Parts: sequence; C-alpha cells; structure tokens
Amino acid sequence: MKRSDLFALLIVLIVLLGLPAGLFGYQALRTQAAGMRVIDITARKPEGGGFIPDHLELRAGQPVRLRISSPDVVHGLTIPGLGVNVDEIYPGKVVEVDLTPDKPGRYAFACTRWCGIDHWRMRGVIEVLGAAGEALPTEPPPLYQRLGIDLDAPTHPAHATPAAQPSAKEGVALNVALPAEVTDATQRRTLAPVDAFQRLRDDPANAGLSDDDVWNLVAWAWLKDVKPNALARAETLFARDCAACHGLDGKGGGPAGVGLPGMRKMDPTMPKGPANFTDAGTMLAASDVLLQGKLLRGGMGTGMPEFGSLYSDEEQWAMIAYLRTFLFRK
Amino acid sequence: MLRGRWLQWGITVFTLAVFLLVIVTGLFGTPAGNHNFGIVYVWLVWWALLKLLLVPLMGRFWCSVCPIPAPGDWLQRRAIITPRPGGKLYTVATKLLRRPGSAGARPWPKLLRNIWVQNLGFLSVALFSALILTSPLATALILLGFILVSLLVSLFFERRAFCRYLCPIGGFVGVYGQMAPVAVRVKDPAVCASHTDKACYVGSDAGYGCPYSNVLQKLETNTTCSMCGECLRTCNKDNIAFYVRMPGADLLDTRGRRLDEAFNGLMMLGAAFIYSVVLIGPDGPLKVTARAVGTPGWFIYAAALLAFNLVAVPGLFWLCVRVGQALTGKPKAVIGQFAARNRKRESLFADYATVLVPLGLAIWVAFTLSFTLTNLSYAWSALSDPFGWGWNLFGTASIAWTPYLSGMIPYLQVPVLLVGLIIAVALGLRTAHQHQQPSVAALPVSAFCALAVVGLLTLYMA
Repeated sequence: MKRSDLFALLIVLIVLLGLPAGLFGYQALRTQAAGMRVIDITARKPEGGGFIPDHLELRAGQPVRLRISSPDVVHGLTIPGLGVNVDEIYPGKVVEVDLTPDKPGRYAFACTRWCGIDHWRMRGVIEVLGAAGEALPTEPPPLYQRLGIDLDAPTHPAHATPAAQPSAKEGVALNVALPAEVTDATQRRTLAPVDAFQRLRDDPANAGLSDDDVWNLVAWAWLKDVKPNALARAETLFARDCAACHGLDGKGGGPAGVGLPGMRKMDPTMPKGPANFTDAGTMLAASDVLLQGKLLRGGMGTGMPEFGSLYSDEEQWAMIAYLRTFLFRK
Repeated sequence: MLRGRWLQWGITVFTLAVFLLVIVTGLFGTPAGNHNFGIVYVWLVWWALLKLLLVPLMGRFWCSVCPIPAPGDWLQRRAIITPRPGGKLYTVATKLLRRPGSAGARPWPKLLRNIWVQNLGFLSVALFSALILTSPLATALILLGFILVSLLVSLFFERRAFCRYLCPIGGFVGVYGQMAPVAVRVKDPAVCASHTDKACYVGSDAGYGCPYSNVLQKLETNTTCSMCGECLRTCNKDNIAFYVRMPGADLLDTRGRRLDEAFNGLMMLGAAFIYSVVLIGPDGPLKVTARAVGTPGWFIYAAALLAFNLVAVPGLFWLCVRVGQALTGKPKAVIGQFAARNRKRESLFADYATVLVPLGLAIWVAFTLSFTLTNLSYAWSALSDPFGWGWNLFGTASIAWTPYLSGMIPYLQVPVLLVGLIIAVALGLRTAHQHQQPSVAALPVSAFCALAVVGLLTLYMA
C-alpha cells in the first residue's frame, strides 16, 4: 500500500474509531470532573415510564449531582424534603442539581408540571442512608392507622349543617372559653366538626348562643392554629396538586377529574368523582385525621395519588386547614 | 483541482464524520429531535444545503461526496486514494462467483436499470417520514440501513449500483439535477466515436470507470452524473470537461423521456403537498396520526398518501396530457435524428413530465425555505450539545429557538414558485412544439402546474 493510501486509511480509521471514542470519553471525563457521584435521571411521561430511575439510594453527607433530562415533554421536579425545586426540564435539555442530604430518611420526589394525563403518578423516592450506610429505621404508622380509622368506610353525612358560612373571626369575637377537646390540636384532629358542634351545642354554658354562633366557634377552633404563611403555602400546593381534579373552587369539578368514579366505586350511595370540599354534609362529618389519612394514602376510587410523602407535617395540616376554608371563613 | 483526489476524499471524510455523529447521536442521544444533532443536521442543515444550494447549483454533486457509498467504494477499489492498475474493481463476486468468461463483478440486473426502485424507496420513506424526521433513533436506523445495503450491494455488484438504482435520495437528486447550471460532458463526440478504449467507462491506470456506469459519449443529462471527476481523470484524450451552462439545459430536448423519471417528478410533487400539510401545517392531530406508525389512523394516512401520490397526482397529470392531445389531435410523427431512437418509448406523458422538474424543484425549494428558516436556529444548540447531554462545546448550547426571516419567507417563496411555474409553462409549450402540436396542447398541463402552485401558496399563506 502506498504511503498516501496509508495516510488516508489512518485518517479514516481515526474518524471511525476516534470520533465515537472521543465523544463518549468526553462525557466520562465530565462525569469524573464533577468530583461527586453523578446520577442521570430521565423524566418521561408516566405512560412512558415516569422517572427512570424512580428509586435512589444516597448516603447522608455525600454530595451528589442529579443530571435530569426529558425526552418527551416539559417536566418539573420537586424534592420537598431536600429543598429541591426545578421548575422546567425541557425536552432535550439537561438540568443539573447538586445536593448533599444531611439527614437520613425517605424523601419523595415528583413532577410539578402537567406532563400528561397520569402526571400525578410521576413519583420517585430517595432513600438517604446513614453516612456509614446504616439502614433507615422503620417509621411509625400514620395516625389514622393507629386510631383504626377505615378510610373507605361509608361516612354518614353530618346531621347538622350551618345555615350560613361559619366565620372564625366572628367566633373569636364571641370570647367563649372552649373545652380542651376542641382547643387542643391533638384532640381536635380526631373530632369531626359536626361532633364538636354538637358538644358545644349541648354545653349548658353555650345555651345563650345561636346555632350560627356555635358554628362560628367551630370555625375559629379549626382555623385558629394555622399560620397565615402556612395557609398561603397550602393554597399554592392546592393549586399545584389538587385543583386539576378538585377544581380551584374545591367543588370537585376540575378538568382532570371528569368521569372518575370516586367513592361511588366503593359505595353506590356516595357522590361520584373527586370530593367536593364545599359539601358541608361530607366535610363536617370528616375529622382532620381522616382527611390526613386520605392525603397520605390516596386512592378513593379516583386513583388519587398519595401526597403525604411530598408534604411536611406542617404542610399536611395546613392543607387540611385550607380544605376547611372552603366551608369556614377566616 | 477537479482531477485530483484529495479534495473529494477530504470532503467525503468530513461528511463521513458528520454521518457517524448523526448515527451515534441518533442511537444514544436525546429522543427530543430538536435538540439532537442527528435530526437537526440531517433534516434541517443537510436537507437545506441539498435543496437550496447543492441540487439547484451543482446537480448531483452531493452523491460524489456522500459518505454512504464511500466504504463500498474503498472496498471495491481496495484503495482510498491511489487507483488500482487499470482501474480494476473487486467484489465478493470477483472471488466467489467468477465463471469462465465472466469479468467477475456482476452487473446490475437489466430489469432494474431504472429508478423505479428509488421511487418506491422514496415513497416508503415518505410513509414513515413524520416519524423519521422527528425521531433521532429512526433516522439513525434508516441511515444505518442505507449504509449496510449500500455496502452489501457493493460487495456483489460493480460500481455504485446502490446510488444509481436504489438510493431514494439519488432518484430525485438526479432528476432535479437536470436544472443545474453545471455539467460534465464530452468536448467532441467525434473523438469519442473513434476512441475504442472507453477508459471513461472501463477505467484506466489514472482512475476508475464511471461509478454510475455512464458511457460519457452517450451522457446527455445530469440524471446519472455526480460530477465525481473520475472520467476527467481517465480520459486519455482529454475530451471531457466541466461546463458551466444555462440552467435546465438538460430539459431542452423533451423527447424520449423516461417514464420512471416522469413518475419521480409526479411523486415528488405529491410528497411536497403531503409534507406541506403534515409537517408545516397547523393540524396537530394529523401530525400525531402520521407519526403513530402501525395504528389504524396511520394506515388510513398511509393509504391516503399512496393514493394521492400514485393515483391522484399521476392520474390528474395523465388526464391533462390526454385533454391536451384531444384538443389538438394526435402528434405528428417525430422526425429527425431522435425519431428512431425514441420511437419505442415515446410517450407524451413522460415527455410532458419534464415540466415537473423546474416546477418540482421550485416547490421543494419553497417548502424547504419555510421549514428550514423556521427551525434552523436549533443548529446552534445541537452543535454545542449534540447528544442533548448538557454539553456546551462551542458556547452556543443556550441559544434559544428563533425563527429566521419569518416575515420574509413568503416574499422568497412566491418568486421561487413563480419562476418555477414560468419555466414549467415554457417547457410545456416546448414539449408541444417538439411533438408537432400547437401551443394549445400545453394548456391543460400548464393549468396543472398553475394549480399546483396556487394550491401550495394557499397552504403556505393559510
């Protein structure tokens, strides 16, 4: 073979072998240069697989870079427990997030963009083990389980409902001393508002109050502990996570909830579709613990995903307080 | 410079590198087409270069630097630069299938020495185009398929049989290449007539025989000539030259045209309409259906595409030719030097189809202007981040999508289409006159061309 052909062949071989090697080598180099563990996460529509991988295992104190990309539509990412919020992951673009989890625990992550009909199911979990890889302790069961509440048991509508919208502001103005079972959050959360109403109504000390006054007291009791900023946060979360099915007005008429069977799947007497938070009969008969259980577990015949793992404790209770505002004025 | 081999080889190696990058990014990069080098640089950059510059100005020149046949060429030649003595080619057939009296390499079957397979290949690709044009993986697999078939064909059949007879791109590039203002032709046919070596066809120590199996003495159009320069190297009579000429000179003689090339023109016209509706039209569900290969909706779309391209457009054109004939009576017998040669395949249908070359090219230029200028800005980010892996090689990864000259596009499209229409009508008249018909015979075909232009303009303006 002549020298010119050898040279040409060499160039061709460099192109055929060197180009792919150079490209993949560069990517490997970038990963190495990050100086930390790099995890590639592909965010697909849930119908196409959702987050891949959807389960990560990290170590406390170990820095990690999440390299997130989308092959299909715009997604978002939130890891509430680790303070990560990515608004937009555009198709074909890569978003890098560096984090160092310092506390062992289970951290849910989720898509925050309306990416498809099953957007709500786009979830994943990060397990942060101890620095030495110690396994996570078993978490105690949620309150509704400890109290033996059956989330799917048919609930009877409240036997009494207010004639006008109860007002917390008017309740506090009455300056009435309430019993501990209503003022203490731990006790009150196990009570349905209608039961609290009945106890206050039956209390001879309140004999001079009208039914509307007693409902105002109930409204005050239910909203007095929630801070304004927590309520504002809950409103944001409601708009992000709940409004598509339940509607921004809470009446259960959101576009994504149309046609869903809802609780009627379990009980033909129950209303169809996503819950209507303005329905006094249902909402006043439900305790906060029951509502928290539904938030934590999901289901309810609509295929509602659980949101508990995405919310902190404070956010959960604030969300429940926010749901009460569809019936109680602040 | 044209006789030297290094420039052509250098461009081919460059296109091979780009081709390889297209395959690798298609297989391993992001499936989001607008951020994948493969999609952006094949269907936007290369397509725009091909349709807006290479074909109109250089004819089939792209084929001479196309990376797809290059590995097959090098294997057949067992060399990359220096020609083998006598321009000898090697194929597997040379070794395994040699029979007494056989030259070894197998010539392409006579039945397939036309562009019908290319036409069908283009239509097949068109059926899946909404998927191929948006899916990097599909693009990579199609191109891999092309290179494998090309390699396989080159192992058994001599020269560039894949390019001349099979490549779906080669078919229309060849047909539209007739409009190019450049050509490689013999200087003096008399010299060729007395020169029995035919080195331009069989090869010589200076180079290989024409890769497209052309005998230069008989070469009258650019349809099968890639201007690779091989004949310039091999002709020891120095009787072949590179000419700059009037655009579309190949079309001036409209007699004796081929039916396969006529169908290519009709099919390309139909495809331009379908693509304009599906790819740049506003109908989202139609795009989704065209992409959902294998679904009932897609089968309906595929049936409609085939019916439009194989029945509606050719049928309407045939009707126009027949009406023109009915208006004026049968053409008088063609006299002169072409009569005997063309009598067998003389077809008014195919001859009138020459009008589709300028018209089709103009329509494709207009179509390409529209979607290329709208989407070309993706080239910047894809250049810096070819895989969509978050790279920023040249600092252009974050350049956002911006349509270029969006307000100007109609002002570019309308003149292009009008020029195409005017040349088409002029060619229609020329066809009528060359077939001894009065001008009125060209009226229906001219109306067909005008209808196509008005239809496309309506689509674009809507």
